[in-house]
Amino acid sequence: MIYLDNGATTFPKPPQVITAVNDAMRLYGANPGRSGHRLSLKAAEEIYNCRVKAAKLFGVKNEENVVFTNNCTHGLNIVIKGYLKDGDHVVTSNLEHNSVTRPLTEMAAKGITFTEATVYEDDDEKTMQSFRAAMNEKTRLVVCTHASNVFGIRLPVERITAMCHQYGIRVLIDGAQSAGILPVEFDKYNMDFFATAGHKGLYGPMGTGVLIVRDNNILSTLMEGGTGSTSISYSQPSIMPDKFESGTPNMPGIAGLSRGLDFINIKTINKISYHEMSLITYLYDSFQKNSKIKLYNIKRPNIKHCVPVLSFNVTGYDSEYVAAYLNKKYDIAVRAGLHCAPSAHNAMNTIDIGTVRVSPSYFNTKNQIYTLVRAIEQIR
Amino acid sequence: MGTKLIMVKSITYAMKGRTILSQNGIISTIQRTPKTGGEKSCGYSLQIDNNAEKALELLKANDINIVGIIDKENIK
Repeated sequence: MIYLDNGATTFPKPPQVITAVNDAMRLYGANPGRSGHRLSLKAAEEIYNCRVKAAKLFGVKNEENVVFTNNCTHGLNIVIKGYLKDGDHVVTSNLEHNSVTRPLTEMAAKGITFTEATVYEDDDEKTMQSFRAAMNEKTRLVVCTHASNVFGIRLPVERITAMCHQYGIRVLIDGAQSAGILPVEFDKYNMDFFATAGHKGLYGPMGTGVLIVRDNNILSTLMEGGTGSTSISYSQPSIMPDKFESGTPNMPGIAGLSRGLDFINIKTINKISYHEMSLITYLYDSFQKNSKIKLYNIKRPNIKHCVPVLSFNVTGYDSEYVAAYLNKKYDIAVRAGLHCAPSAHNAMNTIDIGTVRVSPSYFNTKNQIYTLVRAIEQIR
Repeated sequence: MGTKLIMVKSITYAMKGRTILSQNGIISTIQRTPKTGGEKSCGYSLQIDNNAEKALELLKANDINIVGIIDKENIK
């Protein structure tokens, strides 16, 4: 199979990720941080090492500020539901995934209001003005994606954070599509919250995610339970990361994520993003020559304003038909439809038709993209 | 001086503390905090055979939350 659905989850994983999961289950599959025996300590060591690696990757000084979650959605919900109170206003963007819009919509029923700011591809000034115009005296939080999962458009999250802090507003960044592709310097830019998936650009297994929290004192918990610490107390501990890590963690998954972080460290973010963007620009250039292809980026994708994700449509064909055709006739995997991001499709006027999304990984090749191009040329 | 147990609040702090001490030439091992050591609830300790005072200073300087310190000899 030519797998080009890495925006959903990366496949294949580096072999060392799979080996780590297997080893964790086979050799030291004990509950970490609960007991004092050799296996429990070994399992806890695995998690701690992954925490340290994640802290280093995202530019976080204190590894205890790194919380392991089930996925990016889990991390986003922890912050959205833990920070906001009745009467608060939130600014978000018009490119958000449902992992942001759905919790906000749910919170709207409880007295939260939110406004979508418009993102302008490759015009950060206009994007910033749009965010500023969307704020009001009750705005307490900005929640925005680092890069659109449908159209790849980047947001200037460092500038948004700096601007928001001038008004005492905190910022939650959805890094699902940016982690492992764009540099994230959490401490340097004084970020408040950063959530991402472990199983996309970080090449870890599904069921893993990372949430970085600067100040845990401002967040209520989404879930309480056993943490292996201060067990005598009926109250959830306030120490990090325990406050947000109740219950048995996905230790085999985190062991795999740890090797995924090693993979990124060895290959480097620059090399990974350069490779993937070269595939996307090759695809874009090829599609530009086909008059039946509708593209949505205003200019040739570039890492300065986009991550390596490309959406398109074929005139006269339903996006799901195109995806099914590619799967059946060429064993090419892409994702069609609305990509859990109706906001983004509303912004691009594709809400009625959806798009076909191509999202490569480090393991895809130019030959595979060429095969995709030829397949689309021959679509019937 | 004798062997000391420096009690911390969580396994994460124990491991972070061990790293900090190791980087400063102090060897420590992680163990569960004994119930008879006076600690009221589940936690982890760093066992220090030498330089416990210096170890304590280093841990506090690096914001490691210390619950207490006990002599291992006093634990039954």
